[in-house]
Amino acid sequence: MKQKQRKAALSLAVAMGAALTASGAMAQTIDTKRIEANNPNDWLTYHGSYNSYHYSGLTQINTKNVKNLSVAWIHIPGHSTRGLQSMPLVADGILYYTGSYSRVFAIDGATGGVMWSYFPELDDALVSRQTHSPYNRGAALGEGKVFVGTVDGRLIALDMKTGKPAWDTKLIDSQKLTVGFTGAPLYVNGEVVIGSQGGEWPVQGKIYAVDAATGKKKWEFNTTGDDSAKSTWGNDTWRIGGGGGWMPGGYDAKTNTIWWGTSNPDPLYDWAGANWKTDGARPGDNRYTTSVLGLDAETGKLKFYHQELPHDTWDFDSAPGEFVMLQRGGQDYVVHPNKSGFIFVYDDSAHVKNVWPIVHNYNFVKNIDPKTGELIGRRDFTAGKQGEVLCPHISGGVSWNSGSYNPKTGLYYKLGQEWCMKLEVVKTTPVTEPQVQLNIGANFQIAPPPGGTIYGHLDARDPITGNKKWEVKFPEPPMASVMSTAGDLVFVPDSRGIVHAFDATSGKELWTHNDGLGHQGGIISYAAGGKQYVAVTSGFGGMVSDDFAPAFGGVYKSMPRDDGALVVYSLSK
Amino acid sequence: MMFRYLSLATVALSIASVLPAMAQQVAGTPAAETSHLDVDQLFATTCGWCHSDGGRVAGKGPQLMNTKRSDDFIRNRIKHGKEGAMPAFGSTFNDADIDKIIHYIRSLKPDQP
Ligand code: HEC
Repeated sequence: MKQKQRKAALSLAVAMGAALTASGAMAQTIDTKRIEANNPNDWLTYHGSYNSYHYSGLTQINTKNVKNLSVAWIHIPGHSTRGLQSMPLVADGILYYTGSYSRVFAIDGATGGVMWSYFPELDDALVSRQTHSPYNRGAALGEGKVFVGTVDGRLIALDMKTGKPAWDTKLIDSQKLTVGFTGAPLYVNGEVVIGSQGGEWPVQGKIYAVDAATGKKKWEFNTTGDDSAKSTWGNDTWRIGGGGGWMPGGYDAKTNTIWWGTSNPDPLYDWAGANWKTDGARPGDNRYTTSVLGLDAETGKLKFYHQELPHDTWDFDSAPGEFVMLQRGGQDYVVHPNKSGFIFVYDDSAHVKNVWPIVHNYNFVKNIDPKTGELIGRRDFTAGKQGEVLCPHISGGVSWNSGSYNPKTGLYYKLGQEWCMKLEVVKTTPVTEPQVQLNIGANFQIAPPPGGTIYGHLDARDPITGNKKWEVKFPEPPMASVMSTAGDLVFVPDSRGIVHAFDATSGKELWTHNDGLGHQGGIISYAAGGKQYVAVTSGFGGMVSDDFAPAFGGVYKSMPRDDGALVVYSLSK
Repeated sequence: MMFRYLSLATVALSIASVLPAMAQQVAGTPAAETSHLDVDQLFATTCGWCHSDGGRVAGKGPQLMNTKRSDDFIRNRIKHGKEGAMPAFGSTFNDADIDKIIHYIRSLKPDQP
C-alpha cells in the first residue's frame, strides 16, 4: 500500500487550498483519526465523514465556473440489476465503489482506469428469492481494506491494493431468514459495524461489529430482543419483530458512541386500532424498532436511545436518515431525519431538542411535539379499507438518500417527498418456514396527496429550527443523495437522469447535465492530481423507483432498471 | 428459535392465539400435495407490495386481474420469479398452493366503490 499511496500523495501535493496541509496524512493508513481529520481530497465514509455532512470542502469547482463542468470519465459496472444505489468512496486519489451483487471496483480517480475488481460468489438461489436484492449501497475503508456486505449475509474485507479477500465472515443465516446486507458498513476504531435488513420480515434484525483485522465478530445488538425491550412486545413477538438497521450510522468520537437508526417492526401495518398497547399483531411499543440508538463502540452496549415512533404502524423507520452532528452556541446537536418526513433534533445523548416536518403532506399523526418528541393524534388502523389516504406513501417523506449540511452556509439541504397511498389493512400470519417471507399486513396503492399532485422538493433549511431559506420543486421526487460544497454549490441528481447544481445561498440553478438514466445512489467530490472531481452513480430500479413507471409514465416507461454507470465530472476549462 | 411457525396459516387467527398454536406444528417443505395456504392473506403478506390493491392494479408488478397469461405461465413465474423484478417462490409453495393462487388471480373482481 505504501508505495502507491506515496505516489498518490506526491501527485496530490499540488492540490489546492486547504487540502494542501493534509497531504502529509496521505501515506498513512486509514484509521479513525484520519477519518476524523476529514481531508477534503478524500471521501472516506458513506456519509462523507463521521458527522455525516455529505459536504466537500473543495472549492476548485464553484458558482463562478460550474458552467464549465463536463464529463471526465465514465465507468460501466455491468449487470446493474435494480440500478446503482451506492455511494463511492475515495482515498489518495483512488475511487472505490460497489455495484449490484456487491461487486467492488477500485478505479484511478483521475483517469477512470480500473485498478482491480472483485465479484463475490453469491448464493444465486437465495438472491432469486429475495425481494430487495441484489443491490448494494456502498463500502467502508479502514486499515488497508475495503469492507462490503452481501445480500447472502456476509461481510467481506478486501485488500485495498489488490482486491484480494482478506476475510469473509458469515453473520446472518440468510438462507433461512431471507434478509442480508444491502447497506454500507462503518469503520470505527479497529472494527467494522454493519446493520442487517429486517423491518419487512419476521426475524430479529441485528447490528454487528466485526474485528477489522481478523474478521471475527466482536459484538451484536439485537434491535428486537434486547432484554430491556422484551416487555414491550406482547405475546413474545420480539422473536419475529423485524427491525434491523439497513443503513450506516454515524460516530461521535468525543464519547466513543456509534449512532445507528433502526428499522420498523413487522407486520408493517397493525390492525389493533387504539388498543395497540394490548392487542393486535405486536402489542406494545416494540423497542428498539424505529429508534435511534447510541451504542458504546467498544462493547455494543446501549448507552441511550430515542424511539422516534413507538409502535410504528406506518413503516416510517429510523434506519434511512443520516446523523448530522454539529455545534451551535456551545451545544452539541445531532439532526436525524425519520422516514415519516419529520426531522428530529437531539443533543449528544438523544434527548429531543426539536422536531420539525420537512413534508407538507402527513396524516399518520396530527403532529409531533417539538419539545418532547411525543406523537400527537396518532392514526392507528383497524383491519379493512381505510377511508382516507395515508400520507406519506410507504416510500417515505424522506428516503435512504442523504441530505447535506454545509458548515459555510449553516444550511441543511434535504429532499422531501409528497405522496400518499390508498390502504387496506389485512390481518396476516408471519411465515417463517421453510424460509422467512415478507410480512406486510396490507394491500395498498400509490396516490396523490388530497387535492394535489405527487412531487418532490429540495429544501435549504436551518437544521435546528427548520426555518426555510429556499426551496426547489421537482415533478417527481429525486431519490439520490445530495451534496453541498465549499464552492457554494448544492448538487442534486434527479430521477429523470439530470444532475442539477444550485447556488447554495440562493437556490438558483447554475448547471445541469443529463446522465441518461435516473439516479438513486450517491454523489461525492474528491481531488486527484490536484484536480477536483464530482462522481455520481446513475441507474434506476428497486422497491421505490419501480413505482415511477406506473405512477408517472413519461421517461420512466422505457427507463432501464438493470443498468448503471458511474459518471465523473471535472472542469473542462 | 424456540417457536416454529407453520408455512402459512390455514385461517386468519388473531396473533395472540396464533403464536402458541403454531408452536405445536412442525414446519414442512412444499412437497406435500395438499395446500394449507390462506390465499386471501397472501397478497397482504408477500405479494401486495408489488401487485397493488391485491393484484387489481399495476404497481411495481403488473396488474393480475383479467390477466391473459396461461396457467402455465403464471405457475412458472411464481415458481421462478424474475431476476431483479420478482422473487422466486418455488421453494415456498407447492403445486396445490399455486393452483389456489391461480384461482385467486382468475377470480379477482374490481373493488366495490
Ligand atoms: C418485489 C416485487 C414483487 C413481489 C413481492 C411479487 N411480484 Fe409478481 N411480479 C413482479 C414483477 C415486476 C412482475 C413482472 C415480471 C416481468 O415479466 O417483467 C411480476 C409478475 C407476476 C406474474 C405474471 C403476470 C404477468 O402478466 O406477466 C404473476 C402471476 C405474479 N407476478 C404473481 C405474484 C404472486 C402470487 C406473488 C406473491 C406470492 C408475487 N407475484 C410477488 C413483482 C413482484
